[in-house]
Amino acid sequence: MVNEILYSIQNALISGDTEAAEAAAHAALAAGLDAQSILNDGLMRGADIVGQQFEAGEVFLPQLMFSARALKAAMAVITPELKRLGGEGGTGRQGLVVLATIQSDIHDIGKNIVSTLLTTGGFEVIDLGVDVPIKRIISAALDACADIIGCSAMLTTSMPFMGDLIQTLEAMGERRRFKVMVGGASVTPEYAARIGADGTAPNAVQALQLARSLMLN
Amino acid sequence: MDYLEILDRSTAGAYISEENWDLEKVAMTCMQLVQKFDLKWDRQTLVPNDPALADRVFAAGFELAAAIGAYNRSSERVLRFERSELEDGLKNMKISLTMGQGSDERVLFARKIMDERAPLVWAGNPGAPHPEALFLPAVMSWAQEPIVDLITCGTLAEVDGREVRTGEALEITATRRELTYLHQALARVGRPGMGMLAAQSSVSELGDLAAAHPAYLRPCDAHLVPMLNELKIDNRNIARAVNSIEYGMRNGGLYCAIAGGLGGDAPGCAVISVASIILGNLTNRADYHILHPIHIRHVATSTREVLWVESVVLQAFARNAPAIIVADVYPKSGALTRELLYETAANAMLITVNGGHLEGCGSADGLLPNATGLEARLMGEVGKAVSRQGVTLEQANQWVLELLEKYEHIFKLPGGYPGVRFDQAYNLETLQPVPAWAGMYENIVEMLCGIGLKLSAS
Repeated sequence: MVNEILYSIQNALISGDTEAAEAAAHAALAAGLDAQSILNDGLMRGADIVGQQFEAGEVFLPQLMFSARALKAAMAVITPELKRLGGEGGTGRQGLVVLATIQSDIHDIGKNIVSTLLTTGGFEVIDLGVDVPIKRIISAALDACADIIGCSAMLTTSMPFMGDLIQTLEAMGERRRFKVMVGGASVTPEYAARIGADGTAPNAVQALQLARSLMLN
Repeated sequence: MDYLEILDRSTAGAYISEENWDLEKVAMTCMQLVQKFDLKWDRQTLVPNDPALADRVFAAGFELAAAIGAYNRSSERVLRFERSELEDGLKNMKISLTMGQGSDERVLFARKIMDERAPLVWAGNPGAPHPEALFLPAVMSWAQEPIVDLITCGTLAEVDGREVRTGEALEITATRRELTYLHQALARVGRPGMGMLAAQSSVSELGDLAAAHPAYLRPCDAHLVPMLNELKIDNRNIARAVNSIEYGMRNGGLYCAIAGGLGGDAPGCAVISVASIILGNLTNRADYHILHPIHIRHVATSTREVLWVESVVLQAFARNAPAIIVADVYPKSGALTRELLYETAANAMLITVNGGHLEGCGSADGLLPNATGLEARLMGEVGKAVSRQGVTLEQANQWVLELLEKYEHIFKLPGGYPGVRFDQAYNLETLQPVPAWAGMYENIVEMLCGIGLKLSAS
């Protein structure tokens, strides 16, 4: 019975069915399943499978985005129970990421895929969109008590603003509060190190791994 | 329909959030249309000889454009168009466009499938950042090739040793300096009137306005007006288009639908590409169209998915709505690698036989200054040979598959295959390829001759 319920949650995630994911989460709670188990063995397992399928080229971006949407809906169902079990820290999330395409750049496909994979990977993501001024990114990160600031730039002439963001954090005395990950087609590990970022990744799957590793440090 | 109508619809259209546009409109509709029109692709048939397939791709793209329209990201409004408006737009598309001036003038035209008229060769690597010291010689390396008809270029990421930042003062300097170098390069190779697609260092309105002067971009030149992924425009790019219209310059509508993106696999990417051109014809005020599908992981236009998309989209327009379509060649590999030449040859023969003009090469994914005039020469030679010999779709498909066998391994390399910088592949004093690079070129010319494609150099 328990396995069947968890399997239905996984399936709802894999098929990106928001209503089914919500219903399955409700059914799991009603059946007395532990919210942490629903999260780890149902939702996260399903999200992992979709992530692996995306990495292997077996599913495409829409399926990944629908899965993220289904995950958010199911999380809304179980979060109150997670909080009740674990207090304020018991939301089940791996961390909170404020994400943006840096000011002057409007390219967002890579950033959107990272956002989706972070979400399906258990992070809470505040996606500020494109062409986001540095001040707004920092302000959002401070307001939300973010763990990670993630910013991207595809244009080489927008990349310097990512360095400006880090320098601004330092000038404000807030650099140590956040891990900063940067990305974009022309961003290399050397560039990330040069501007003082905590890391970069060549693709969205590795960006999720990077975010997870940053949360451990 | 004039641009004022586009401005009006950008504010009067229905509101929708960007996420819902992406998922509910683009992804869902595209998925339904791929099924409805039974669009499938075969990894072994990258140059299909299937007129019905090309027609279904066109019909699906048209239906997508009519069903959902375009999205203005700035206003978060949907720009809808009546079918008759889209049809009128297609009927009024330019099928002939003069670029450049004087003895260097060239006429772009709507090519046909297996057209005996040779494609025009537009050389350069748009978007690739260059150190200032390499910019002029790199452009000269393309412009000096007799087979090249039109010129484009990378960007200046630094001027006078300072980083260029979009929307700030140095964007103006970088844009004008880029164009100054371009004019110098054309003058030095004796082709001052060559048409340009330029002001690549201009991202915001600052650079764009700074370039709209006959000393920089002339009315006989063009600049890019991109459609954003997927089926989106924004006020910034509408402003770019309007600047061109007011100044009297050409707009190159750029469409980079993603294979593996919101449209799903290659068929969905093809449908979005067709819809992008149909809509961009109106929203981007495009005088001609630049087809540049992107692979979601590998970027390059030489992947099987993107090659198939280029084939069916070019065929779809050639059969249903003749248009001037220039297709980008953006190989994964960079200078001084054999694979760059194999990728270039495959892309060039496929584009040519399907009815496109050639632009490139954005070697090393267009991310590094690792491109040279030599691969642009090969691109042009292959294109001219394909049209001259009357290569068939089936023959081109077989050759493309043979070339894929020689380069496809590079997509498994974690860091790509970027090759070397321009100044390591070319002698900067003579502006000729270093012997090793010239030798690789000779080898591929022989190889292509061996399989039956006779380049003029062979």
